Amino acid sequence: MAVAWSASSWGADSPSSASSLARPFAPHPTRADPKDLPAAFSKNAPSSVADLRAMQDRVSALVSQVSPAVVAVELTNEDGNASGSGVVISADGLVLTAGHVGEWPNHPVTFTFPDGRTAVGKTLGIDEDADTGLMRITEPGPWPHVNVGDMKNAKLGDWALALGHPGGFDAKRSLVVRLGRIIRLMPGVVQTDCTIFPGDSGGPLFDMYGRVIGIHTAITDSTTENFHVSITEFMDTWDELVGRPERPPAYSGLTIMDEGKVCRLTKIDKNSPAARTGLREGDQVLKVNGRHVFASATFERWLAESAAGETLQVEVKRGQKIFDYSIKLQAQPRSPQ
Amino acid sequence: MKTALYLTLLVTSLTQVALAQDEFDFPALPAARYRSGQQVLDAFAPISAQTRNSIVEINVNEDTVALGAVVDASGLVLTKASEIRPGKLTCRLANGKEVEAKLLASDEEEDVALVRVKAEGLKPILWATNTVVEGQWAITPGLADTPQAVGIISTLTHKIQPQRALIGVQWSLFTTQPTVEFPIPGFGAEEAGVKSGDVIVSVDGTSVTNRQQVVEILKTFREGQSVQIRFKREEKEFDTSIKLMLLKFSDDVSLRSGGFDEVIEHDTVLEPWQCGGPLVNLDGRAIGLNIARASRVATYALPASLARQILAKLKSKAANLPSDDR
Repeated sequence: MAVAWSASSWGADSPSSASSLARPFAPHPTRADPKDLPAAFSKNAPSSVADLRAMQDRVSALVSQVSPAVVAVELTNEDGNASGSGVVISADGLVLTAGHVGEWPNHPVTFTFPDGRTAVGKTLGIDEDADTGLMRITEPGPWPHVNVGDMKNAKLGDWALALGHPGGFDAKRSLVVRLGRIIRLMPGVVQTDCTIFPGDSGGPLFDMYGRVIGIHTAITDSTTENFHVSITEFMDTWDELVGRPERPPAYSGLTIMDEGKVCRLTKIDKNSPAARTGLREGDQVLKVNGRHVFASATFERWLAESAAGETLQVEVKRGQKIFDYSIKLQAQPRSPQ
Repeated sequence: MKTALYLTLLVTSLTQVALAQDEFDFPALPAARYRSGQQVLDAFAPISAQTRNSIVEINVNEDTVALGAVVDASGLVLTKASEIRPGKLTCRLANGKEVEAKLLASDEEEDVALVRVKAEGLKPILWATNTVVEGQWAITPGLADTPQAVGIISTLTHKIQPQRALIGVQWSLFTTQPTVEFPIPGFGAEEAGVKSGDVIVSVDGTSVTNRQQVVEILKTFREGQSVQIRFKREEKEFDTSIKLMLLKFSDDVSLRSGGFDEVIEHDTVLEPWQCGGPLVNLDGRAIGLNIARASRVATYALPASLARQILAKLKSKAANLPSDDR
């Protein structure tokens, strides 16, 4: 069975692996079976109008299926406003983009969905050499998302669909869809004749199964020289993207344990950010930043993605009452308190 | 090592990336198998067979400037108006014949012209009535056995802002005043006798003191329109009427590529001269009229419904012409 990569699959993991769960896993590629594709896609070229019709049916269906997860991204850095594209790959809001669209961790980002709705979030990390980037929508989801693929069976001539926002987000036009074929497969880079343009950067290249197989990165003067970072590069640079391991996690002062299906606050450090909030030992943790907490690992992960100075919203249950608290996170203290 | 010019796809920054020569040494798909390569186009032959007698190639002084869509068996053809420059107008048909043609009427707003072709046996294009969906084939047939090129529908229909039309002056950057460094050759300002050092005093009756004010007023004008501009040269002031024109950024795109009420955007890579004809679906029916190659990623077509409204307007305009001119 293909593993669905969603918020709930985090919660399903055993609490014993909490430390490794502190940062998001690299996505699992969804399996693809050529038997599921119309025969026209595996020919050297379509050979009849019937072939063309079968391709068209598949492509239009894919467009409606994957479009909702494609976003325009906008972030502010020293050079001013930068904008590009991205694609959401998990219900809890992980966004793949190009490294040159992203930034070092914790830059604020605004995401715009094709229907014009926006969400805020931040950068998680980039790898400049591979031109891979990862961002996170920090508002509670669930967000429309797509599956990621692999390049195991990719070959020249495979049909591909490029989506993104050439020239930046335009509310009157919104998302732009382009079709092409794989022209070259290079280590870490895919070339297609899907025409892309500045602003598309970070947008997804899909295979005909609707899986992300690349992220738009560069072009030349020729309309058939469009380059996409291969999805395998994201897997290979994942540790870079989810934040450097040496980065000290932000400090809340909370200790959280799993009790069966309940996630409970078992200890609050003295003089810690949490101690200043009114949270009490024994509180049952329901949500962090508006998202349900199914296990202590979920809490640890949100904490690991946060930086000192940021605020963590915690919703707890005490008896029959629900309380909301904001924890202003600090840098990790030098010695245990 | 070879350095390829790379545009990274970030709106605000364009950088160059070195590309190792070896990367181009990897095997490539034969060009015939590209999205719009000949092997793929061959599959579309039945559609071209259906439509080729509904298409003409429009020539001015023997240069092909556009395609046209036959809309009436009597020889009425719709095409892209701005490509029809003054000169001897003829049309090449699918049977290879070149026949005389005459411009009857134009719609400046949507850039559509109605042309009369002196020929028989032309087959009017059939208009599609079903809705267009993103991802469906967008086929641009020509006179040949297979289409000119194919692509897919990229967006739902939307409006395109007018392009900026220019009077054609290079500003002097040493002052904030609207001072002319030099008139750009071939543009309206040069034709109106504007010279280096002239300073704009008023535009369309409004006094101006800086460049930004001039630009803001000129934004409200379209190409082909004339604007009254008062200049100061040494101590004398004088009035001019300057015609605004579009600037051609590249030979790969149509000069007139903006200011359309509604377009279907598709990803077909067309030469500017391949616009003006029908954009058809797999039934060989016209879903639109190709009206502009707009950018690296976009070609625009006026949707069939809009093209038909314009056709009706142009037909009634043409009916008012003296009978010799129809």
